[in-house]
Amino acid sequence: MKCHGEAVKLMHQYLDGDMTTEEETALRSHLEGCETCQEHFHELKKTITLIKSTESVEVPEDFTRGVMDRLPQEKKRVRYRR
Amino acid sequence: MEQFILQRIKQVKKGDQSAFEDVISFYQGRIFQHCFRMLGNRHEAEDLAQETFIRAYVNIDSFDTKRKFSTWLYRIATNLSIDRIRKRKPDYFLDAEIKGTEGLDMYSQLAAGGRTPVEEVESLELKSSIQQAISELPPKYKGIIVLRYLEELSLHEISDIMDIPLGTVKTRLYRGREAMRKRLRHV
Repeated sequence: MKCHGEAVKLMHQYLDGDMTTEEETALRSHLEGCETCQEHFHELKKTITLIKSTESVEVPEDFTRGVMDRLPQEKKRVRYRR
Repeated sequence: MEQFILQRIKQVKKGDQSAFEDVISFYQGRIFQHCFRMLGNRHEAEDLAQETFIRAYVNIDSFDTKRKFSTWLYRIATNLSIDRIRKRKPDYFLDAEIKGTEGLDMYSQLAAGGRTPVEEVESLELKSSIQQAISELPPKYKGIIVLRYLEELSLHEISDIMDIPLGTVKTRLYRGREAMRKRLRHV
């Protein structure tokens, strides 16, 4: 592989599960010989792990009730028919 | 469960408002979570998640029951969140004049009662770097990163939700991941 840019493109294809066997082989062999790209690939995978580690938040209590209370009284469609 | 919810949605379409309660209960977790991740604070997230369900209710006639309801809800929530982020953006510029207050800019606001710049920085430091990095992403990348890695949706579904071609989803995902990598590489 000629340049890092091409390898980085393949890394992203890999992350999207969107690559041919040939492309995967090309990426693998490039990574074996290129420390810069190994580092880049490692950082990308770490980034995804970090994003996924974000904690989840609980829905506020009475959320459903809050929405129900804010709904318009009747649907316009029904009113128009009268 | 999905079948039960679909029945409830059909009842809502016929004008039965009370059936919407089950619909909200079923999707509230995912939608609130999504809004929270897009906006970064609970108060705004609750407001926008409520708004999402209200819009869905008001526009329920335009929902095609052959399609996935969650995709439709995510689309409303994502669009509302992006709008909200864009609207609040001017506040970030300290030099920006506040509407209707000639010559009064954010500096004077900060001095008068608001948090000082130092306190601002300290509170930012307390925030998790990850949530911080996500919140700093431009909205169009943020939506995609959140849907992909926090909501764990497929690229096709994201393309449906954001109403953009699959190729654009991939391009934005690429740029979003690179932007996040640059921010998080030394964490």
